[in-house]
Amino acid sequence: MKLSKHWGYLFLFFLVFVIPVFIKSEYYLHILILSVINIILTSSVRAIAVTGQVSMGHAGFKCIGAYTSAIIAMKLGLSPYLSIFVGGLAALLVAGIIAYPITRVKTVYFSMLTMFFGIVVTLVTSEWRSLTGGTTGIINIPSFGTIKVFGMVIDFNSKLPNLYFALILMVIVLFFLYGLDRSYIGMTLKSISQDDSLAASIGINVARYKAIIFCIGCFIAGLAGSFYAHYWGILNPDSFSLFHSIYLLIYMIVGGTDRFVGAVIGAFILTLLPEVSRVFQEYQPLVFVAVLYLVVFLLPRGMVELPHQMKPLIRMFYQGRAEPHAGN
Amino acid sequence: MLETKKLTKNFKGVQAVSDLDLNVRAGEIVGIIGPNGAGKTTVFNLITGYLQPTKGEVIFNGKDITGQKPHIIAQYGVVRTFQLDRIFHNFSVIHNVVTASHLYARIGLWEAAFDTSGYRKKNRNTGEYAGNILKLIRLDDKKDEIARNLSHGHQKLLGIAIALAANPKVLLLDEPLGGMNPAEVDRTLEIIGEIRKQGTTILLVEHNMQAVMKICDRIVVLNFGIEISRGLPEEVQRDKEVIQAYLGTKKDYT
Repeated sequence: MKLSKHWGYLFLFFLVFVIPVFIKSEYYLHILILSVINIILTSSVRAIAVTGQVSMGHAGFKCIGAYTSAIIAMKLGLSPYLSIFVGGLAALLVAGIIAYPITRVKTVYFSMLTMFFGIVVTLVTSEWRSLTGGTTGIINIPSFGTIKVFGMVIDFNSKLPNLYFALILMVIVLFFLYGLDRSYIGMTLKSISQDDSLAASIGINVARYKAIIFCIGCFIAGLAGSFYAHYWGILNPDSFSLFHSIYLLIYMIVGGTDRFVGAVIGAFILTLLPEVSRVFQEYQPLVFVAVLYLVVFLLPRGMVELPHQMKPLIRMFYQGRAEPHAGN
Repeated sequence: MLETKKLTKNFKGVQAVSDLDLNVRAGEIVGIIGPNGAGKTTVFNLITGYLQPTKGEVIFNGKDITGQKPHIIAQYGVVRTFQLDRIFHNFSVIHNVVTASHLYARIGLWEAAFDTSGYRKKNRNTGEYAGNILKLIRLDDKKDEIARNLSHGHQKLLGIAIALAANPKVLLLDEPLGGMNPAEVDRTLEIIGEIRKQGTTILLVEHNMQAVMKICDRIVVLNFGIEISRGLPEEVQRDKEVIQAYLGTKKDYT
C-alpha cells in the first residue's frame, strides 16, 4: 500500500518532468511556465489562508520580489541565481514589517488591509520612475544565462530550460509546504482558523503562528516573482494588479481549499483554460467568474472533489449498459 | 497554588467582579457558584487573560500572572475550558487532542517541515500521550470520528480533553455539565474525580447544585460580582444569604 503510493508519486514526477521534452511549441511552453508560477503562488496563498487569513494582496509581494531581483541584477550586476533569493528576502522583509499589525486583525479586515497593501505596491512601482521605470516598466532584465551542466550547454534564453527551472522551484516549494501542511504545524495552523481563542487557551501563540506563515507565504511569492522577472525579461506594474491577487484566490477556491492539491489543480487548470478558445481569452474575467460560480454550486469542496462526485455517474453509466443483458 | 487578590473588573460602571479573593490549594476541587450574571465566567476570563482586570492580581505558584496573554498563562499551566462546545469542529477527535498536546510535544517549525527523525519520535510520543488522555476521558472508542458529529455530551468531554492535553497544573472548568443528561453527568463527575487523582487542581463553575455539592472540597458563592459566602459544601448550603440570592426570599429552605 505504502510502496504503491510512493510509486504513484514517482510516476507523477516522471510525467511532470518528461512530458515537457515533447512539447515543441514555444507558446505552450510559455503557458506551462506561467501555470507553474501560478501553482507556486496559489499554494503559498493557500498556506496563509489555512489560518483563516485570506490575503488579497499576494501579487504585491510577487511584485516586490520581481522588481527587487530585477533591479539588483541590473544595477549591481548580481547573478540572477542569487538575486532571486534577494527578491524573496525583500518580500519576506516587507511581510515581516507589516505582519505585526496585519495579523492582529481577522477575516475581512485582514483581506482589506492586504488588498490595500497590494494596491499601494503597484502605485509605488508605477510612480517611482527613477527606480522602477514607471508604467513602462523595466526591460532587458538579464535571463539566467547559459550554464554548463555535465558537459551539456543549457541556454536559458529558450523556454524549455526555464520550464525546468520553474518545475524544480515548484517541487521544492510544494515539498516544503506539503510537509508543513500535513505536519503538526499544519494542524496548529488549521486549528487557529477554526477557533483562535480556543487555540490560545491551550497555549498556542496565535499571533506568532499567523505572522510566521504569512512571512513564509510572502517569501515564496517573492521568489516566484523574481523568477518571473528573469524569465520574462520585462516588468511593468500592470502584471501585479489587484486582479492578479484575486485570480490567485479564484484558482485556490476552484481547486478546493480543504486539500493541499486543490491549489495546485486549480492553478493548473485555470491557467490553461483561456487557451482553449479565443473567446475565453477575450472574456477571461467573465469565464473565471462563471467557473467559480459553477464550482461553488456544484462542487463546494472544489475540483479535487470531482472524481469523488463522478463515481455515482460512472456507476450509473455502467449499470445502464449492463441492464439490457440482465433483461435478456 | 492559584490566588486572586482583590480582583476587580468594571464594565463601564457595572462591577462584574469586585474585590474577589480566591485561594485554590494544590490538589483541591473548588467550585464557584452563583445565579446567572454573578460574574463567574468573568472570573475565569480574568484569571486566564481573556480580560484585563481593572484592579487586583492573579498569582500562580507565587508568580504574578495578571494581565498576561492567554497563551502565556496556558504555558504556565493554567488552562481553561469554555462554556459552549468550543472544540475544533473539523478535526477528528484524536486530532483535536494531538493539536492541543502542542505544549507537551514542543515540536519546532523546521523539524516538522522537513520531517526529521526527531520529529517522528516526538510525533509518536504525542500520539501515545493523546491516546492516554482519550482513555481517561473515555472517548477512545470515538477517536477517529469528526468532532462536529459527536453528541453534545461527548463534545463537552472533548473540550475537557483538549484542555487536559495542554498539560495543566490548574484546570478551570466552565460549566462542564451544562446540557448533559443525568447519566452523562455521573460519568463526567467520575472523570473529573480521576483528573484530580492524577494531581491536577480544579476550579469549577457549575449550575448543577447537586453535582457541585458532591465533588467540590470548597465552594465560593458569587452574586452580582460580590462574594457572599464561602466554605464547605454543607456550610454554603445552609447559608441564609446564599438561599436568598438563589430564591429571593427569606424562607428557610433547608
